[in-house]
Amino acid sequence: MKRLRQAINNSDISRFRFHFQLFAFGLLIYGGYLAIDFGSNYIPAFACPFVETRGGTCYLYPLQHQLNMPLSQLFSGRGIGLLTGFITFLLMFVLFNKAWCGFACPLGTVQDWITKLRNRFGIRYSTYSETVFSRQKNIKYVLLALLLLLSLGMSNSLFGMQKLSGDFSTSYCMICPGRTVLPLFTGDMSQLVIDFSSKTKTVLTGLGMAVTGLFFTGAFVKKRFFCLLCPMSALQYIFSKAGLLRLKKDGMKCTRCGNCYRVCDVGIREIADDLESTMIVQDDCMMCLKCVSACPEEGCLKATFLGLPVYEATEQGFFKRMGGRS
Amino acid sequence: MKYFCGIDIGSTATKIVLTDEEGKIAAHTTAPTGSHFHKNAVEALEALLCRQQIKRQDIGYIVSTGYGRKLFKEADETISEITANAAGARNSGEGAGTFRTIINIGGQDSKIILLDDEGHVKHFTMNDKCAAGTGRFLEMAARNLEIEVDELGDYHMKSTGVPATINSTCTVFAESEIISLMAGGHSREAIVAGIHYSIARRISRLAGKIGIEDKVFFDGGPALNRGLVASFEDELMREIVVPETPQITTAFGAAVIAQEAFAAEGEKINV
Amino acid sequence: MHTERFERVKKSTNLHFTMEADEALRKIEDFPSNPGAMGYFYDLFRSVYANGGSLTHKGTIIGTMCVQVPEELILAAGAVPFRLCNGAHAFDQAGAEFMPAKACSLARATVGMLHINRSVHKERLGMVVVPATCDQKRKAGELLREMGYNVYILEVPSSKNSEEARHYWQNSVKRFTAELQHLTGRKITKKSLGTAINLTNEARRQFRRLYNFRKISPPVVYGKDALLVSNAYFFDDKERWLQALTDLNNELELKALKGESVGNRHAPRILFTGSPPVFPHLKIPLLLEQSGAIVAADEVCSSTRMLYDAVAYDESALYDMIPSVADRYLKPCTCPFLVLNDDRRRRLKDMAGQFAIDGIVYQIFSGCHLYEMEQRTIAKTFADSGIPLLFLETDYSQEDTGQLSTRIEAFLESIKARKRRK
Repeated sequence: MKRLRQAINNSDISRFRFHFQLFAFGLLIYGGYLAIDFGSNYIPAFACPFVETRGGTCYLYPLQHQLNMPLSQLFSGRGIGLLTGFITFLLMFVLFNKAWCGFACPLGTVQDWITKLRNRFGIRYSTYSETVFSRQKNIKYVLLALLLLLSLGMSNSLFGMQKLSGDFSTSYCMICPGRTVLPLFTGDMSQLVIDFSSKTKTVLTGLGMAVTGLFFTGAFVKKRFFCLLCPMSALQYIFSKAGLLRLKKDGMKCTRCGNCYRVCDVGIREIADDLESTMIVQDDCMMCLKCVSACPEEGCLKATFLGLPVYEATEQGFFKRMGGRS
Repeated sequence: MKYFCGIDIGSTATKIVLTDEEGKIAAHTTAPTGSHFHKNAVEALEALLCRQQIKRQDIGYIVSTGYGRKLFKEADETISEITANAAGARNSGEGAGTFRTIINIGGQDSKIILLDDEGHVKHFTMNDKCAAGTGRFLEMAARNLEIEVDELGDYHMKSTGVPATINSTCTVFAESEIISLMAGGHSREAIVAGIHYSIARRISRLAGKIGIEDKVFFDGGPALNRGLVASFEDELMREIVVPETPQITTAFGAAVIAQEAFAAEGEKINV
Repeated sequence: MHTERFERVKKSTNLHFTMEADEALRKIEDFPSNPGAMGYFYDLFRSVYANGGSLTHKGTIIGTMCVQVPEELILAAGAVPFRLCNGAHAFDQAGAEFMPAKACSLARATVGMLHINRSVHKERLGMVVVPATCDQKRKAGELLREMGYNVYILEVPSSKNSEEARHYWQNSVKRFTAELQHLTGRKITKKSLGTAINLTNEARRQFRRLYNFRKISPPVVYGKDALLVSNAYFFDDKERWLQALTDLNNELELKALKGESVGNRHAPRILFTGSPPVFPHLKIPLLLEQSGAIVAADEVCSSTRMLYDAVAYDESALYDMIPSVADRYLKPCTCPFLVLNDDRRRRLKDMAGQFAIDGIVYQIFSGCHLYEMEQRTIAKTFADSGIPLLFLETDYSQEDTGQLSTRIEAFLESIKARKRRK
């Protein structure tokens, strides 16, 4: 057991993650070919519903659908669909916490590939300044709130406004780059269009195209560019404290060397500078565990599942990974 | 009958204390350290043994302390004068338990030792490299005033009126200051009192830094000087406890430690 | 006339330095059961210092005045980093000509050494890098420039807590990189920097092995030996040093397995901090260990602070590697020139626990206000946890040895008494 743990702690998590992401991507995008279906509508948090051959569906899609009903019905029998959907989402989430983002989300994986490509070209990445970063953090919550309100607003008149037209159906999906980008991997370019059928749709799909462009350029210059804007990430973070998979920090052991912050793709400073919190997952964290692998202090950072260490920072592991490079 | 020997080789005087099995002082002596201090210390010890008719082999354990401790090869153990001083004060019977601070003025340094509840060293501080506020400073002053060191106390007690101000703590500058004070018509008494206050103030400041508690135990040769004791009482605003023979407290402490070490060794053999 | 006098001063200063070095080495070696692998280090110091030998390094030598200089970049540019911080009283006296009487011995001795042996050093040192850390180092940099050295002032922020400070430092390091390449005429590449990082990280890995051996109680190695090893890193060939330390570690590993130890089993375990002990000024660590203590750990820039932290980078490309190297020299730094230095207090507290420390010895060189001012908070931190702290103000002279030894012995005696009563 001790041996196994040591072997895991010595391992290169990034390499493991790369292969795991590849596997998850195949499963979620091409799973349909093998008749794999993690529940197209009800078992959530999987691939984009616009991929024909997907092996599952992103939870935001059914969520938007399920919210599109009068409030009175929402709290009656029809609400059960929403509730079961939400509970399954939560269960999934309790198991994996934000590791979903770092290990399985196909949109995240695509961004990591773009990063690799950039690195291959030897082009420098850019980072946000602190003010931009802190402002940007909020966008995903705004998007989440809009997503919920717009869905509800089609069947209810909110804030005394008229009911919204049905064109707002799954409005977030219309601007999510997942809809346009992921089908490309199955050779499906049909989403790369602007729908002029109505004013609302024109605007939404037009925005979607713009976001797609932004997605590619953004991901090329900034690691995990889109994740900082993703409402899924926001939704998950709200429940992050309930996750069984946790990222923990022992502030007393921290030397504030900043290695963890250095390698963090989303630029979370707290990982290095917060010495008080023991649960260190921040809203943008994707639990890629690169910080754990870059930490040279025994047991200072660790990922635990149900309180048991899964992957832990060790001096030996650190030097193994950082020693024989390039 | 076994005896235990504590020997404190200081910069000016070598103090030797013999204690008996009950831990009481059986005999003590003080001799000038001189330049051949190993030889002088051995001779002083031999003279004391001869006077008391104690055989060398009756001494169970010797602990040396003071600046010359390392060179006294006859010792079974050496200990720093700070630990020895605390042990001596703790066991002196002189108001033991009522004080938590020791001020020791030696020939070339002064120390302040803080004790914990059980009378062990908790914290200590020493003056820096120079001789200001030490026995040497008093010797210089007496020499310039053309009186004996032992007379300083009496002069102080006789002084009436305002003590003269001594600004320099440096021995060299204080020397010329004393001379000019005399030339300026200050009485010897006032100058002596001024000197005592300047020393007391300097050491009190040092003591203030580490924070003194309760009554203060004052030892070392200069503690025999009543005037200096009075100055300390004024400066510290605390009661001062002075043992009967303050110059041998440290040597006595070394003897106490010698007895403890002897007992510990005996236990080891018996086990 | 003038030069004749200077030659005389030079001769006498170097003679006194040799005497000092020889005396220090004798004291260091005068302990029972020295590890065989320490022989390399004793010989190294003897040949370089006590016997007046000199070092042979291939390539441009870059003198560094502080641990803040990123040595990976110097190595990657094909040059040799050489830490100039000096520990000799003879050079301290020579430096008194340039610096105030109340200046710190280390800065003054470094200036003194570079003044006395300027004929050799001006030729050997392609550049002297002075990080703008504490006042004494900064102004020493100006003095050295006046003496005719090619001085490079490496700008350092005075606080490390903001992102702005970090970027300022990263930019400063970038400028330094350009200057290095200009000087050596060699371009730093992904490959050369990668190799340099691998080498220095390996040095730190081996240093940490030694650091971890010092946690063992009863102790397997004296602090004086550990300090000598890290002191050798100042000037020794990195590869050779690495091999010698690996050998020492392997020997200590065997010793630990066999359960062999040095010194007394109940020796008070001391954490040494404050102004750095630099050979031959190992006065206080030596006094401590001669008096029966073990310097089990140190938090000083001539040892742990210099060699503990390693570089971690994400992408194998210069744009990521150079800032990563820069971060390594700022983020974990606990030098008191940094304002809001809570990290040092936490570090010491953590070390006290990890090394089962009985007492802290805090050395300051007269004139180093930064260390002296931090002393209070550190003392308070440990007063709360019941670990006594001995504060010793000293300089490079041996005059205060008697006083110091009384203080040190009394301190150790009180620790022993405390341990016995527990």
